[in-house]
Amino acid sequence: MISGVPLFVGLFFLWLGALGMLRFRSPYCRLQAAGVADIGGVTLFLLGLILHSGWEATGGIMIALILFLLFTTPLGTHAIAKSAFVRRVRERK
Amino acid sequence: MSVYVEVLLGLSAIPPLLVLWRGPSLWDRLTGAASLNLRVTLFLAAHAAFSGHGLLLDVALAYAILGFLGTVLLARFGERGER
Repeated sequence: MISGVPLFVGLFFLWLGALGMLRFRSPYCRLQAAGVADIGGVTLFLLGLILHSGWEATGGIMIALILFLLFTTPLGTHAIAKSAFVRRVRERK
Repeated sequence: MSVYVEVLLGLSAIPPLLVLWRGPSLWDRLTGAASLNLRVTLFLAAHAAFSGHGLLLDVALAYAILGFLGTVLLARFGERGER
């Protein structure tokens, strides 16, 4: 039952990222909303799943999944932002 | 509780799908695709933890790796500008 707290806080951050993607209009603002809020949501959600199902069942692969997503989500965000910057996408005033 | 978590996670995949559908530029669509990959990975992990099928967790890890490779490859493709 204690696992519900990080699960629902993680879902709250995931919903913040999703609604921010709908709200903003330019690619950089969308990357800001999605890339920042999703990492915290993913980490809290997977920690809640570890607390729910126990360490013996799925703990090691969950830790591997947390570390992998924690390293590669900023890499993907940076690749998209650099691609948009090289192709001269600028903010409209 | 597990039903609510899975339904809320599945519904939070709808806004990235909308952005992927009607994004004006390539980079909006790439942002939506990366976010959608993340949510599919989380849904696979949640279903593996709630239903007890441990094999789905390996599928989630492989999906995360392939989603990251697809995002980076499409971003490099859009950087060079070959449509």
